[in-house]
Amino acid sequence: MTTIQTAPHGSVGDDGGVALAATPPRARRRGRSGQWAAWAFLAPVVIYLVVFYAYPLYRNIELSVRDYTVRSFVQGDAPFVGLDNYVKVFQSPTFGPAFLHTALFTIISIVFQFAIGMVLAVFFHQNFRLSATLRALFLVPWLLPLIVSASTWSWMLNSDSGVVNAALEAFGLPGINWLTSPDWALTSVIIANIWIGIPFNLVILYSGLQNIPTDLYEAAALDGANGWQKFWRITFPLLKPVSAITLLLGLIYTLKVFDIIWIMTRGGPGTASTTFATWSYQLGFASTLPDFSPAAAVGNVLIVIALIFGIIYIRTQRKQDIA
Amino acid sequence: MIARKRARLIGAAVLAAAVIGGVTACSGSGSGSGSSSSAGGTYTFWDPYPQFDASADWTKLVEQCGTDAGVTVKRTGYDTSDLTNKALLAGQQGSSPDLLLVDNPVVSTLADAGILTTTAENKLDTSDIQKNILAAGVLDGKTYGVPIGANTLALYYNKAVLSAAGVDVSTIKDWNSLTAALAKVKAAGKKGITFSAIGTEEGSFQFLPWFWGSGADLTQLDSDKAVQALSLWTDWVKQGYAPNSVINNTQTTSWQEFATGDFAFGENGTWQLGNVKKAGIDYGILSIPGLDGGSAPAPTGGEFMTIPVQKDTARYATSKKIAECLTSTENFVKTDTTLSYIAPTSAAQKQQVAANPELQPWVDAVAAAKGRTSDNLGTKYPKISQQLWGAVQNALSGSQTPEAALKAAQSAAAAATK
Amino acid sequence: MNGKRPWWKTALGVVLTLIMLFPVYWMINVSLTPTTEMRKSPPNLFPVHATFEGYQAVISQQLPYLGTSLLIGLGTVVLTVALAAPAAYSLAKLRPRGRGALNFVLLIAQMIPGIIMAMGFYAIYLNLGILNTVWGLVIADSTLAVPFGVLIFSAFMSGIPEELMSAAKIDGAGTWRTFRSIVLPVSRNSIVTVSLFAFLWAWSDFIFSSTLNAGGTFQTITLGIYKYIGNNNQEWNAIMATAVVASIPAAVLLVIAQKYVAAGVTAGAVKD
Repeated sequence: MTTIQTAPHGSVGDDGGVALAATPPRARRRGRSGQWAAWAFLAPVVIYLVVFYAYPLYRNIELSVRDYTVRSFVQGDAPFVGLDNYVKVFQSPTFGPAFLHTALFTIISIVFQFAIGMVLAVFFHQNFRLSATLRALFLVPWLLPLIVSASTWSWMLNSDSGVVNAALEAFGLPGINWLTSPDWALTSVIIANIWIGIPFNLVILYSGLQNIPTDLYEAAALDGANGWQKFWRITFPLLKPVSAITLLLGLIYTLKVFDIIWIMTRGGPGTASTTFATWSYQLGFASTLPDFSPAAAVGNVLIVIALIFGIIYIRTQRKQDIA
Repeated sequence: MIARKRARLIGAAVLAAAVIGGVTACSGSGSGSGSSSSAGGTYTFWDPYPQFDASADWTKLVEQCGTDAGVTVKRTGYDTSDLTNKALLAGQQGSSPDLLLVDNPVVSTLADAGILTTTAENKLDTSDIQKNILAAGVLDGKTYGVPIGANTLALYYNKAVLSAAGVDVSTIKDWNSLTAALAKVKAAGKKGITFSAIGTEEGSFQFLPWFWGSGADLTQLDSDKAVQALSLWTDWVKQGYAPNSVINNTQTTSWQEFATGDFAFGENGTWQLGNVKKAGIDYGILSIPGLDGGSAPAPTGGEFMTIPVQKDTARYATSKKIAECLTSTENFVKTDTTLSYIAPTSAAQKQQVAANPELQPWVDAVAAAKGRTSDNLGTKYPKISQQLWGAVQNALSGSQTPEAALKAAQSAAAAATK
Repeated sequence: MNGKRPWWKTALGVVLTLIMLFPVYWMINVSLTPTTEMRKSPPNLFPVHATFEGYQAVISQQLPYLGTSLLIGLGTVVLTVALAAPAAYSLAKLRPRGRGALNFVLLIAQMIPGIIMAMGFYAIYLNLGILNTVWGLVIADSTLAVPFGVLIFSAFMSGIPEELMSAAKIDGAGTWRTFRSIVLPVSRNSIVTVSLFAFLWAWSDFIFSSTLNAGGTFQTITLGIYKYIGNNNQEWNAIMATAVVASIPAAVLLVIAQKYVAAGVTAGAVKD
């Protein structure tokens, strides 16, 4: 696990050099009973993980490697078809658009959420009057149930009765078919998603900022650094571990995003805003004849993509820990 | 040291046990799976009406029918799009509800999954039900449920808007005259027609009267007639007779557009009858015209009462009593008046019209309506419908021409229904 | 930092906040709009024909749902902290073998889409008999927050200086005692942060409420909204009014907690 400590404290070893060095017998005893204690503390979570995560995941994999019809879903005798469902999914004409849209949706959302969150965190860190209250208010979008936030954005972006188009037309610009044009549908859901994701990034990055000691900034000011240099030379590098975890979590959560897109455009028009998450839902839940196996396959593809990024993250962290 | 280690281990184990134990012990507030066969007993009832809570008339009616049958009925309302999967999940786990009310195109899916009993097994009598309404519940010659009511689509029109535009509604007989009327309305500065073309089953539902009205058939999505039907809608949107928002409209949002009073026509269903008065619009009803005249067949809406398969077959007798109670003529009238549906038997319909003569055009419309899963389409219908609404979306949004969209839809549908 | 507090920063802050909260304002606007004006084009910027029927419906019908959601939110917080804190302590301080693998598993656990979890839970819950119970929902909602909680806690706890831990050991405290009396009090900020996330995620959860508790006697506010979403009709002013009313307790909690959240995630133990 990344040790998030600031530079002055930063040390590779556990002790600050103040505690007594452990004597060999004590270390050995601490070693074995330490392991017991460690796993005793971990036991509840491990059981929890097995029961509540491993089982649904297993169910999903099982759904994807068999050919389930509604009948066999209920009666339980579906034939094993190996990777056929995955082949079907890869060969489906929806795969290409879904992949592209998932990539665009995730990358653009994260970049903007992170950047805006960072800017706001730095801005609010400056402790001007009302900064604490305003910062709390920024978290309000987080409180709203997704059905409400997504519906509100739907209303605002409606081609005819939406306030955004009304504003555009008031300035003499033509209205845009935000949700019904294949060119704009994806952009609209990305905008809504960015809005919803800013609070999360703001909270985490702000906490990271709190951890950077002010003496560093004072020392830099004494050396004649301006605001921009302070940010790039001190803030940004020291925020790297926090940024890394924020980006990774942001990626995982954004890949799963489904409600916003579904409520705003149903993945449409056609497949213009379909991502893997909405495609999986559409296959399994949006028709009067659910198609569970391909839906599960698409869901697993999603998990694999997230997994790849998780592995990249862990590798990078390990390299950093060694360095 | 050792005692401490053991104590820690015990502590952790106790914590884990407490979590799981607390979980099983606190399962108090009702498992709702109705598998007990105690005398009296509780019967579970699922329906897609979450808008009715414990104090609503519908709930009271259901509970009363239960009491009359000698049992307690526990009713739960679910969102209709969730109900299919919930029913399948429950069936898989062997905990199906005793009575299940589902939207009619779902009946063939559930029947195919084997979780519904046929009228042969549950002994329900469906001889009074109008055949075209019952058709959605028939699969391979077996009947799987009883309709609780029916509804269908027609064109609501705003008399004020039409007269201001100089349109005489009696001249609207076919597609050409309808389009001409829309042109006049637009020229007069108002909006033409609103409907729902969203990428879900609702979109297909709204498109079907036009699709069938051109003479097209669901097994051939790319016929010339079908292209004509889709071109009608596409041209309307292109020329501004229908707003661009139809691509994303549900039937409710389409209704809200009509309720602003700016639209001449709104394609919507029987269930809006209560709302049209609330909106204060001086309205009329027009059946959806066919391509060359006459009324287009509209799809039937409405839910079916079904009795799912149970391990304990003795429960069917009581479930049947409850179902019959809810489908008696008197209760048909009660329920269908609340839901704003048309009753599926002629006896009940007569009572409805007697109480509210404005329902007569709807009764006629329902008599001419067609089930979506009929013509022996059964579980092929959902696959075809999905391609159909996709084609509508692509054509209306301009990413494909109607011909190309329907061609793609037909090949995908044919592949999916092989 | 200098003592000057430039007012333009406050002004800029206010402007940014207003932009960010505009959709929330719009939500309030819609909640006061009568049905006939829902789709008016162009829309009213202010609710000129304000109707309170949405709020009337909410006050008279939704309060029990709010209570249930509150209960579930708090339950989720307690369960999440109870599960995540000890585990994080172990990962951060006790160095169990295989902790790398466990961290990885916790990461994967967050990647599973909610709908897949919900479907799996349905079967488990049915067999354990906890379908349609408040407890069951608390456990399900905690799955949204526990892996994240472990992450945050262990990041924080690994920053607790070893001097504190060694001092406790010298005084003869065992692992549990150290955890209870030293680590937890010092982790107050991260506890508040994790609690906030857990509460908010449980509060706005829909998929688990819908799959696992739709038939229960006590339902959450996210399901309560569905009361206004009938199979053929939707009352949008009531839906938005429900959202407004539902946001209030969460907003209050937010304002109270944000002071701690600010310092919570990664602050070192020495400065408070």
